[in-house]
Amino acid sequence: MKMVKAEGLTYEYIKMLETDHGTEEEKVAALKSVNLEIEKGEFVVVLGHNGSGKSTFAKHINALLEPTDGTLWVKGMDTKNGELIWDIRQTAGMVFQNPDNQLVATVVEEDIAFGPENMGIEPEEIRRRVDDALATVRMQKYATHTPSKLSGGQKQRIAIAGVLAMKPDCIVLDEPTAMLDPVGRKEVLETIERLNKEEGITIILITHYMDEAVRGDRVYVIDDGEVVMEGKPKEIFSQVERLQQYGLDVPQVTEVAHLLRKEGIDLPADILTVEEMVGALCQLKLTN
Amino acid sequence: MIRDITIGQFYPVDSLIHRLDARVKLTITFIFIITLFMVNSFVGYFFVIAALGATIKTSKVPLKFMLKGIKSIMIIILFTAFINLFMTRGEQVIWQWGVLSLTLEGIILATKMCIRLVLLIVGSSILTLTTTPIQLTDGIEYMLRPFKKVGVPAHEIAMMMTIALRFIPTLLDETDKIMKAQQARGADFDTGSLMQKAKSLIPILVPLFISAFRRAEELAMAMEARCYHGDENRTRMNRMRMQKRDYHALAMGVVYILIIFGLRYAARVLPFMI
Repeated sequence: MKMVKAEGLTYEYIKMLETDHGTEEEKVAALKSVNLEIEKGEFVVVLGHNGSGKSTFAKHINALLEPTDGTLWVKGMDTKNGELIWDIRQTAGMVFQNPDNQLVATVVEEDIAFGPENMGIEPEEIRRRVDDALATVRMQKYATHTPSKLSGGQKQRIAIAGVLAMKPDCIVLDEPTAMLDPVGRKEVLETIERLNKEEGITIILITHYMDEAVRGDRVYVIDDGEVVMEGKPKEIFSQVERLQQYGLDVPQVTEVAHLLRKEGIDLPADILTVEEMVGALCQLKLTN
Repeated sequence: MIRDITIGQFYPVDSLIHRLDARVKLTITFIFIITLFMVNSFVGYFFVIAALGATIKTSKVPLKFMLKGIKSIMIIILFTAFINLFMTRGEQVIWQWGVLSLTLEGIILATKMCIRLVLLIVGSSILTLTTTPIQLTDGIEYMLRPFKKVGVPAHEIAMMMTIALRFIPTLLDETDKIMKAQQARGADFDTGSLMQKAKSLIPILVPLFISAFRRAEELAMAMEARCYHGDENRTRMNRMRMQKRDYHALAMGVVYILIIFGLRYAARVLPFMI
């Protein structure tokens, strides 16, 4: 069974426009017939610039939004089925952009316990899950601290732990690093990768940072509510001009490699990291 | 500077009073406040002060912290004292000027009222100084539960208190940021008349409110994403359990009530107790 499967997923909303003749209603389609499939255990990145519809897509996976047309299944459960809503939310946990606006309690461990408490789990089991989740995100030391005194990256790790304590199969992260400093971003990304590799949790990372997208197994590019590209990071990023057309920047080294190739220097098209670039350049020097 | 404001005045030390169940502390504080108004003699107050002193000693919170709360209501205490001193009619007039008269009864009454107010503040600050806000909220939720049948939203009240406590530091930070941003563009919050000062707060409050609403919306979504659906089928990680010490404390509370009533009766039959 696919972890997440979308078929003709469409979401429309009505926008009020102020015109000279008063307010007018306009139908806006944030998602236009999106089809995609995500396997269990995959690390999928959804890329798109601001307003491309990527956040709207993320909210559908958690059944926070209901599709206007088409269907989205989470582990075979139709998100339109109101009876399954709590099962879906438990299966696909969600981490949001602003760490400050998703923590509920004044004590770290109480906040992590929030999800399991809502699910009606026995107190002893909640305790166990909270301790496990704290250990997984390496925040045991901060169990009794207050979230407002933590850094952005730490807060975001607590938010991830809060989702982990619900034992999800899949975690959707909606631009989790957008408000963090470089150190915080690194902490969060390492945590996400570890969850995917060690715990086997399916990760769906929504982002507009290219260097984060490189870490995924597969990348979907969304533009104007449509899936416009799909493939392995290397396949996607070798198409520099097409990406730029969708308002996205490729990783810096990839762009440098692209420009060098244009100048007739023989470099592979799929360079994504500085290390690969160094390797390719050394190779070039040796052959010359 | 705005960040230094502490919310809830919890004093973190480990003491017997700190470890007591929040429900027990709430009950005893409630008893204390009610019985304070039944004390009618100086002997009675002496007993209350002694009991309070013993509690403060056990709580390991410095007396200084306890008395802090009094400062803020000093004006109320002075006002009460003034009214009682000069407005009480009595037989033993000591001094008179127009409607103002100083009587022996007035002096006694004023003294009693002041003692009562001070004891009230100190007594209730023991509760907030020795109980974390979260324990307090849990305690309130538990104690309001019986009233759910008559429509008291116990869980919702507790949840609101928790979220408010959680967001106070966040919003204070935000206020600080907005003020600095305005100051950087030449806003002046410190000079001018009271009216001008109040007006200069508007450009702070508007963005603060807008952002608070935005936060509220995001938080609601995040809570829903974590399966929040109210009180129904909800469990708690930390269960409140009564310990032996909690029952002892309650028993002492009962003894306290009995002594207060005993002293009240004694004051009525023995006139020398005033």
